[in-house]
Amino acid sequence: MLRDIAKQRLLHVDLSKGKTWVEDVPLEDLQKYLGGRGLAAKWLYEQVPAGADPLGPENVLIFSTGTLTGTSAPSSGRSSITTKSPATGLYLKVSVGGHLGAAIKYAGYDYVMIHGVSPKPVYLWIDDGKVELRSAEHLWGKGTREVDDLIKEEVGDPTIQTGIIGPAAENKVKFACFMVSRYNSASRGGIGAVFGSKRLKAIACRGTGGLRPAKGKEFFALARKVRGALAADAGSESLYNWGTAGSIPGLNEMGMLAAYNFSRVTIEHGERLSGQYLLSEGYLIGRESCFACSTACHRFVRSESRRWGGVFDSGPELETVMSLGAECGITDIEAVLKANQLCNDLGMDTISTGHVISWAMETYEKGLISPEQADGLDLRFGNAEAQLALIQRIARREGLLGDLLAEGTLAAAQEIGGDSWKWAIQAKGLEQSAVDTRAAKSYALAFAVNPRGPDHLMTETYAEFGFTQEARDVIRKVTGDEKYADPRLTEKRAEIVLWHEQCYGASEALGFCVFTSTAAFAVNPENMAQMFSLAVGVPMSEEELMLAARRMVTIEKCFNVREGARRKDDRLPWRMMNEPVPDGPNKGMITDQAMLENLLDQYYTAHGWDLETSIPRQSTLKYLGLDAVCVGIPVIP
Amino acid sequence: MVEAHIVNIQINAAKCTACKACELACSFTKEGVFAPSLSRIRVMQLHEVGMNVPVVCVNCADAPCIAACPTGAVRRDASVPVVRIDEEECIGCGDCVRACPFGAADMNEERGVAIMCDLCDGKPVCVDHCIYGALSFEPRLPTAQVKRLAHAHTVAAQYRSR
Repeated sequence: MLRDIAKQRLLHVDLSKGKTWVEDVPLEDLQKYLGGRGLAAKWLYEQVPAGADPLGPENVLIFSTGTLTGTSAPSSGRSSITTKSPATGLYLKVSVGGHLGAAIKYAGYDYVMIHGVSPKPVYLWIDDGKVELRSAEHLWGKGTREVDDLIKEEVGDPTIQTGIIGPAAENKVKFACFMVSRYNSASRGGIGAVFGSKRLKAIACRGTGGLRPAKGKEFFALARKVRGALAADAGSESLYNWGTAGSIPGLNEMGMLAAYNFSRVTIEHGERLSGQYLLSEGYLIGRESCFACSTACHRFVRSESRRWGGVFDSGPELETVMSLGAECGITDIEAVLKANQLCNDLGMDTISTGHVISWAMETYEKGLISPEQADGLDLRFGNAEAQLALIQRIARREGLLGDLLAEGTLAAAQEIGGDSWKWAIQAKGLEQSAVDTRAAKSYALAFAVNPRGPDHLMTETYAEFGFTQEARDVIRKVTGDEKYADPRLTEKRAEIVLWHEQCYGASEALGFCVFTSTAAFAVNPENMAQMFSLAVGVPMSEEELMLAARRMVTIEKCFNVREGARRKDDRLPWRMMNEPVPDGPNKGMITDQAMLENLLDQYYTAHGWDLETSIPRQSTLKYLGLDAVCVGIPVIP
Repeated sequence: MVEAHIVNIQINAAKCTACKACELACSFTKEGVFAPSLSRIRVMQLHEVGMNVPVVCVNCADAPCIAACPTGAVRRDASVPVVRIDEEECIGCGDCVRACPFGAADMNEERGVAIMCDLCDGKPVCVDHCIYGALSFEPRLPTAQVKRLAHAHTVAAQYRSR
């Protein structure tokens, strides 16, 4: 099917009834919310009632392609999956690359909304206009890679695209993920567990259609221009050469490499976890792009470790080597590659898996988890063998500890008791990604207000470091002065966070990787608005684009408000607010409670949200045209 | 035999990241839509081994597609040393698709014609969009000479690094 980009289509799949139907998306909704993550936020608000069980039939999964996914706009192939998180009980959006989004687009759909719970394990097979639910009983219990092979064999086409859950998701591990295109992970917040609860093992798609932009030639020329600028950006170059793990040496030097469950921020031999090391030691065998990407930060690695066995896999990403490596006191890269492969195959988020284990290690060393409770594992920091065993036990909920840790760090700390909650590096129920927020104030604020919990993947304020001229330009544009490109300052942090969360939101709604707009900066609100306008055929200014993104951020906030979240929930993990940076150049730094309260005041004020409760005011909702959408929350004029 | 001077898009599969920018550029330029299924160049992702291989017409000297075409629509004019399809004369029978050993010819089902790379009149848009260096095009030199030069550079680099 060849269709206009402006004519978006939503595929509904009701697993309880075994029914599917297609709904056309009104153009005015696409304009108002930009599509992708934006429209998904609105639909989630409308579809999932307050208090709904994230693992019950009332929850929905919304797979959204970006509005420009499938076009030549550079790095525009990312998709979002939106749902209510089983880890936090709050709003969850997970972004993922790979090629599944583009395939769904070419099959004729922009969104797939999954309702209900299937009585038996199934997978969704979208073959252009033909959509069917197929039995997955023979796939249940199997790892993601084997299932990828089996589905491709079953449909008789190895070139189709898939998204698959592993055994961890079937067992409703609270940090289970969804593996897309075999090697890309939609990771956080237990997104996989929602698939598992619905007994939906996989989505497989073959799309052979195409997309027509409204003003084709102009769009194509602009996209080519931005592609060239992006390829020339210094940020992109580093990501191509060394991948995300290329940041390891810099982080270690700056004293921002979270290690030993955030009790240290430097680690001996940290360079062995780096992308540079993977390259120089011959582990790297190839670089890979997501659809339409001009960066290619993804990679293939091979290891023939005597001790840990052979590994052929993608990655490992920066967060993976920090969480499964440094945080657990492990710098043996071959062990980390093995752990990464296990997580990918069993279907678990490497960030949360690493952090739930690093928490268990610290708790074990402090004597709050006994050797008996550890089911015989010697859980001291640095024991890779114990870590690998524990990964398997968590995924299958084996043993006392495996079953306990599968519930996430917050629940595990509540069960173990004592002071163990103090080193549970989580907020809202989500494990923090391995970014040290004590020495960077915009990061601290962004993590605290992140609607899905403390991580860098709803808003990352990398520009505040001012590493490149492009980054300093962004800070000048946002705050009026380059001097604010200093992560230690507390002034102007709300402006920086707001701009970044809107830039993130717009990027994700359109399908752009946030690396293009907030790590490299060649994709920016101005050219995003132009590309949207040329592709969809309606006017869109930079201001309107950012306003639409603010709209989506506000709906996401309102979802959480309706679930009962308030200002007190916008927190950082205890250790991040109470234990100053222990070592390295930032030693002694902290973002404490008082400082965070100050930052929150700035942020809520800038948003037009009530200072006491953090609830968006009615005047703000009215201004954003959301007063009829965000209903069912306390009304504050 | 028409050609001693065979020109091709040169492919370095080791550099291909499967971004598919080539497919998007090609399908838009040739068909006015973004549709990899209508691209004359296609990237095969070999997921299990982590390799990506672009596949495109290699301008065979003794081209099976020309021989197979019942109407003479697939041909190489004396003036341009490139196999091309005359869409006016193409009847959409698919014989060229079946004859091509590489899968470089395909069908546009909607328009009922066969499609194949024509090197964009000497400025292939796929090469312009490939920022990874997996595709290159040197129209002035025959393919073998391009290969020799590339090989010579590899050898030179090895010597120089000693």
